[in-house]
Amino acid sequence: MSSINIRDLQRELENKANDLSKLQKDIAKNHQVRKKYTIQLGENELVLKELDLLKEDANVYKLIGPVLVKQDLAEANANVRKRIEYISAELKRLDATVQDLEEKQKSKQETIMKLQQKAQSLQAGKGKA
Amino acid sequence: MGTSRRKGSVVPLGSQFPLEEIHKASKRVQDAITDKNNELHRLQTFLSDNNNLVNLVQKLPEQLSHDVMVPFGKAAFFPGRLIHTNEFLVLLGEGYYADRTSKQTVEILQRRGKTLDSQVDSIQAMIKDLEAEASLFNATASEVEDGIVEIMEEYVENGSDDGESESESPMEDAPSCGNDTATKVEYASLLSKMDELEKQEELDAQNGDSSEETTVDFDHSPYQRPVDNNPQNPEDINQATPLDRVANNNYFANDLRKKHNHQEDIADQLNFASLAVQSQVREGKNLSQNVKSVDASLKHPISQAASASKIEAFTGSIVEHAENLQTSSREQSSTSQVSGSQSLKPVSRFKMQRR
Repeated sequence: MSSINIRDLQRELENKANDLSKLQKDIAKNHQVRKKYTIQLGENELVLKELDLLKEDANVYKLIGPVLVKQDLAEANANVRKRIEYISAELKRLDATVQDLEEKQKSKQETIMKLQQKAQSLQAGKGKA
Repeated sequence: MGTSRRKGSVVPLGSQFPLEEIHKASKRVQDAITDKNNELHRLQTFLSDNNNLVNLVQKLPEQLSHDVMVPFGKAAFFPGRLIHTNEFLVLLGEGYYADRTSKQTVEILQRRGKTLDSQVDSIQAMIKDLEAEASLFNATASEVEDGIVEIMEEYVENGSDDGESESESPMEDAPSCGNDTATKVEYASLLSKMDELEKQEELDAQNGDSSEETTVDFDHSPYQRPVDNNPQNPEDINQATPLDRVANNNYFANDLRKKHNHQEDIADQLNFASLAVQSQVREGKNLSQNVKSVDASLKHPISQAASASKIEAFTGSIVEHAENLQTSSREQSSTSQVSGSQSLKPVSRFKMQRR
């Protein structure tokens, strides 16, 4: 009876541990994406600064695939601004998801701790018996 | 209060921070430091590249054309000529390019250099922090190896400390800290006594200018003494105080005065829980005035002539005076005597505690 219990507990523990490792992987991935976006945000801000410093008659090109396409300065400016907006929104979203994931991770860790304690107490009881 | 021992625990540092853990932690910090150093190195190469580029861009428009070897593929070059030496197509980032002159290009590059500089600064600050952390770990490791123990004690909020610091000037803060240590560690009581003496000296110095106050207080005594109906009592006190002075260089007389001035403080402060003092406080103004009169009689000899009272001190003995005071207070149950005798007694108790 108790051995079955212990086996169940161990199986549950393994499942939870797997879930936890998955969560941790997700969190790490999120962090990486977040880092990438932050770098892009910095670059875009630099570009925007430079574009703001350009005179209106300056020639601006955008590299699309292998070719340079001439762009209007105002258009380029608007594009960069939009891109920055998008990246900021994305960063916010990522922050929210990371927070969510971390909360989940915390609860999972707690449940695992509880399970381990349970298993230990069960094993101790078994050892006594 | 003052002398109560606090509970504490002594734990070897090694059990709290196992050596392996410390090594692990320090290794992790070291890894982080090397990472940051690599990053720093990368940034510095960027910076030097940038500077070289600035130089090149500044030099190119000096001539109308340059003869160069143009790279062709990975291994081949062919001779060519650079023309339009004042026209640059500058990558701004994110696939955006702009046509710029040499001067404008240099400006862009210098702005980039500035951002790089700030990045280098931040990374250097990070490395500094990490190195501080690493040194902390190393110090802990060496301490563990030396077998240093961690002594932990509960911090008990002590009313007496507050009273002291409030009633007395900040100059005496250090000595009051000494009192704390005295309560913590038994053999430190000697040290605290020395602090006490220091405090007395400071008090003396401060009370030197409070002589005016003394005379004012003394004015009370003439009409208080008749109420006392006991000319002996002040004398006794006079004799008793110099005795203390013999031991403690004039301090306790001053100390007494101080105590009377801040009765409540002292009741808290120096474990003065002697009921007599407290009852005085409760009984109210008359009593406090009485105390003041006794006080004045105390101060009187001090302000007048320390030498004369000292002579008295040498002639008398502690035991006798203490007894005199007690008997007199018994014979005549006037409150002023009680206050006088008992306001003195705590001082000796205080001294006992300090010892």
